[in-house]
Amino acid sequence: MDALFSDFSDAQKSCDGFKLSRTISPALPFDKLRNVWKSCNAQDVKNVVKRGIHNTYISKAQALPKDETAGWIEVYSAYWKAVGALVKVRDSLSPNNKSPWANVYETWKEVVSLLHRGYLAHGFEAWTVPCLYVAGKYLREFAVKADEERNNSSSMDSSAEANFQDDFNPEAEQHEKLEDCARQLNRLFNLCLSDRAPLDNSRKWGIYHVANLLFKTYFKLNSAPLSNNILKSLSAGRGDMPPLSKFPKSQQVTYKYYEGVLRFLEEDYVQAEKHLTEAWSMCHKDAMKNKEMILTYLVPCHLLTTHTLPTKKLLEPYPRLQKLFLPLSRHIKGGELHAFDLALQEGEDEFVKRRIYLTLERGRDIALRNLLRKVFLAGGFEEAKTEGASKVRRTRVPIAEFTAAISLGSHQTLDGDEVECFLANMIYKNLMKGYIARERGVVVLSKSGAFPGTGV
Amino acid sequence: MASATPQQQQKDAKAADQSQQPPAAAAEQQKSAAALEEDDEFEDFPVEDWEAEDTEAANGGDTQHLWEESWDDDDTSDDFSAQLREELKKVEASKKR
Repeated sequence: MDALFSDFSDAQKSCDGFKLSRTISPALPFDKLRNVWKSCNAQDVKNVVKRGIHNTYISKAQALPKDETAGWIEVYSAYWKAVGALVKVRDSLSPNNKSPWANVYETWKEVVSLLHRGYLAHGFEAWTVPCLYVAGKYLREFAVKADEERNNSSSMDSSAEANFQDDFNPEAEQHEKLEDCARQLNRLFNLCLSDRAPLDNSRKWGIYHVANLLFKTYFKLNSAPLSNNILKSLSAGRGDMPPLSKFPKSQQVTYKYYEGVLRFLEEDYVQAEKHLTEAWSMCHKDAMKNKEMILTYLVPCHLLTTHTLPTKKLLEPYPRLQKLFLPLSRHIKGGELHAFDLALQEGEDEFVKRRIYLTLERGRDIALRNLLRKVFLAGGFEEAKTEGASKVRRTRVPIAEFTAAISLGSHQTLDGDEVECFLANMIYKNLMKGYIARERGVVVLSKSGAFPGTGV
Repeated sequence: MASATPQQQQKDAKAADQSQQPPAAAAEQQKSAAALEEDDEFEDFPVEDWEAEDTEAANGGDTQHLWEESWDDDDTSDDFSAQLREELKKVEASKKR
């Protein structure tokens, strides 16, 4: 533990929050964890920590205020206990301990609580907020592990029993610890949000990191809409909040990603595209997995807002995205309705899991537009009325031709009324310009841009 | 019952093997399991901040040429016209019937 205290002292002297946060990290090699655990016992841990911290103060002038020191002693004592719980996870000598991860979670929650108290009651300074990042990050990881552990064991011995209970709520049960973790993270969020200190010494600088942890947690809990509360409190407090652009890029990109996905889920594709594009542009070039995640939502956005598709080059580095999007793209381009439906069906599980199914389904309109456009192009040109006049495309297209095309594309025989319905929809959605002349059985298309934005 | 004994022995041997695994290997196993589950999550960046030159935008990710139009005019061949005429005949024929 001595190394820990010398790092603590160095970090305090240089006000280096990230260095300080590493002293409470539970992600240490196992032998180091064990060394920390073995260095004292439950009776003397507080004294050992106290002595450890005091020994690093060479002179009184360097020492932290007494109250603050007391706060850190509490934190490190709790940390020691959590380390012990972690050691026991690996320790095969305690077979009686059936839920070691739940124990880790509870002990780590205590670390989080004591840090929280440190800011409110012991005057921890704002530069130390990276400690909250580490505390929050691992609280979430341990919660996930504890839930898994319980679900694994309960599925083996008590599932039959549970089925007989009327008020059994499998979803809530399944994420018990993670639900609790969300509440703890929310406390940390408010701890940062409510700081009234001047900006250059404010916990507000910790807020986006904690917000991102909360987003991640809510998404995992399948309660993404709860994230809107976070977005709202950040936009309401924006007046006295540092602008997002002043935060490290990792926090900006993550925040923009979640903001974009949330807008996406609300079907506000214009806003979604804006945020996701920002996330994409600022993302680190080597963060392949995260770039893939951004594109997963950006591609459907582009399809609906600007009716554009990803190039092969864009998807080249991402085999998974190629599998997801290339077949659909090809069929949209070709106006192959039937093949599009099949590809959508084929990928349904994957699309639903990623919450993009409903958006991609709307790509069928674009496929249909392309099919109708092909009919228009195949119709060729009117005979020029005067010599040398520029060629004009045939703009009166018999409905029968569209009917034939749609039957061809969808492998179904449709009657004229159904086709008229499709055409009316296309016109309504401004994918096609013109009107249906029912009595003559033709569609009269606009001479200037029958299919807006497609060059004809 | 007799056949169960060697199986049991095998199992025991396996268990012993696992307990003797160096902690590093066990940690790696855990890691890969975690990686599979976290598959669908936005990952933590390994660094907190980076220079503008390391962003996607500065490395060819910002240009419009990564997106293309959703229709394909190379495809508008006579093939389609022919198919369409064929189908049209069928539609007409079925109407007359």
